[in-house]
Amino acid sequence: MDIWNQLLQGFMTAGTPVNLLWAFVGCALGTAVGVLPGIGPATAVAMLLPITAKVDATASMIFFAGIYYGAMYGGSTTSILLNTPGETASMVTAMEGNKMAKSGRAGAALATSAIGSFVAGTIATVLVTLFAPVVADFAVKLGPPEYFMLMLLAFTTVSAVLGQSAVRGLTALFVGLAAGLVGMDQITGQARYTGGVPELLDGIEIVLVAVGLFAVAEALHAVLFEGKVSESENRMSRVSMTRDDWRRSIPAWLRGTAIGAPFGCIPAGGTEIPTFLSYAAEKKLAKGRNLAEFGTKGAIEGVAGPEAANNATVTAALIPLLTLGIPVSNTTAILLGAFQNYGIQPGPQLFTSSAALVWALIASLYIGNVMLLVLNLPLVGMWVKLLKVPKPQLYAGILIFATVGAYGMRQSAFDLFLLYAIGVLGLVMRRFNFPTAPVVVGMILGPLAEAQFRNAVSIGEGSAMVFLQRPMSLAILLVVLTVLVLPRLLRRRAAALL
Amino acid sequence: MKQHDHSAPSALLQTLVGAGVIVLALGLALGALSIPSNAGYAGVGPNFLPWLVAAALLVCGGFMVYEARSGGFRQMDEPSGDGAPYWGGFVWMSAGLLANAALITTIGFIFSCALCFVLAARGLRNAQGQSATGLKPWLSDSVTGLLIAAPVYWMFTQFLAINLPGLTQSGWL
Repeated sequence: MDIWNQLLQGFMTAGTPVNLLWAFVGCALGTAVGVLPGIGPATAVAMLLPITAKVDATASMIFFAGIYYGAMYGGSTTSILLNTPGETASMVTAMEGNKMAKSGRAGAALATSAIGSFVAGTIATVLVTLFAPVVADFAVKLGPPEYFMLMLLAFTTVSAVLGQSAVRGLTALFVGLAAGLVGMDQITGQARYTGGVPELLDGIEIVLVAVGLFAVAEALHAVLFEGKVSESENRMSRVSMTRDDWRRSIPAWLRGTAIGAPFGCIPAGGTEIPTFLSYAAEKKLAKGRNLAEFGTKGAIEGVAGPEAANNATVTAALIPLLTLGIPVSNTTAILLGAFQNYGIQPGPQLFTSSAALVWALIASLYIGNVMLLVLNLPLVGMWVKLLKVPKPQLYAGILIFATVGAYGMRQSAFDLFLLYAIGVLGLVMRRFNFPTAPVVVGMILGPLAEAQFRNAVSIGEGSAMVFLQRPMSLAILLVVLTVLVLPRLLRRRAAALL
Repeated sequence: MKQHDHSAPSALLQTLVGAGVIVLALGLALGALSIPSNAGYAGVGPNFLPWLVAAALLVCGGFMVYEARSGGFRQMDEPSGDGAPYWGGFVWMSAGLLANAALITTIGFIFSCALCFVLAARGLRNAQGQSATGLKPWLSDSVTGLLIAAPVYWMFTQFLAINLPGLTQSGWL
């Protein structure tokens, strides 16, 4: 009942014309960056972080959230219509979606992915509504040792579990942690790695790192290596589904949601595993003619399931972010940075200290999903035109927005040189197959984890045994060990089924 | 002694990347020397994580060098795009970004970003092998750059009150 009242309050806040406008602009922008190659939700939110200086917290979080899940809708459009799959999350959609588009069923593929995203997004939002307060109530009881273990879990999954190589993932993580070290130590106020430069006392700006690693590195990579890559575009067809399409899609959406949502809830993020699992499940369940369509004409279940799984994961990932303050992806890490810019630390207290903000944000998820359904079904033709933006102008334009983000945060031209340097670093990382998410997560979560660790050891009177003596902390430690082993087995299994 | 086995030039580059990580680790360790440990009750002070990070990076860097010298990094994706890098385009784009950084406070956001746009777009056009002779592409890029930079400038300075440098104090240019 209490939840119901607060949610209604949230709808009142999110439903004001100004906030509706922010949500709409966020969803539209999110769809656009999802469709456009070379720029994703993390980059877009990072570039726009300077607005946190002026826009109030509720409005900008609604806006950023719109970009965050709007990009998931847009991303599937690109992976279905363009023959060059982008991020891993939409890679699975691309497998069947592309085949469907080639056999003249692009419209049905787009429809099932948009409606599936809506169904999964809405169900996952209901889960967020129901479970986030429960998790928050529970999380209040956690102490520093448990928190540190949860953060260790996030570090482990983002660096050693996701991505191919644990060595390169861990290297990226520790580079991120090193970047997070620069500045004043949270507990003693000791300056570290500032080299006497006063600007560095506040630490390295996250906008610089994110925009440099994603936007600038992406543009440099495009100019160096992708000039001659030719892209072909699949033909559009009418966006509609037949009775048979519906019959096959609905169970796939629900299964995808059921697979995706739990993966979002645990701080063991990434959409790669749930989308692959959903694809494998659909393929295994398909029979006869439908099974024959997999990999040939393109099976609609193979688009519907993974798309739903993707959106369910992404939405449910807000639960660990809001209740524990633990991000597990680039975009959620930057959303955490946005909260920090307002002096708000997401965590269990968020639901009491900033209740109005949180519930308005959750309400905006419901509203945003409806907006996105409209933006992506009847209006999909408009977004498809974005695919025609020529590469030179696209990447050059992205650099202008990168400048806004990097300069707007601190008004320092020096930051623009630093941005270039980070861009070159990102280029090297991309070329040598280092993941970027651990850098960003490590940089944002590192200082928090360090503080929790030191507080925990203080509680243990200087002994690290405290992590083993408390049952909850020991349990999470065991989970950490499990996630190190389990996904590798699951992935091998999923790969064997493909 | 130099190795003359199957190691391609990329093995050398991979070794360099690993070595770079080792250098970073040593640099962090050097910096950690000057951080006092005043641990207090905690038993671990502000220098604990720096040492941990330095040690971890040293191990990672060492392991990468080992991988690079023994058949290359494991589990690599197929690199996307063409094999051979097009450095000419890289130079154009770098020039654009650095010119932007150097000039933004003098000639203002709009012109500086438009210049960056023109130079970066030039690099990308060349990379695509477009025959970019004549004045037309320059002109069209300049106009496009201005048409993107100016509204962005107005939107951020006028509506969102974010300080971006202008050529004048008017807030419009």
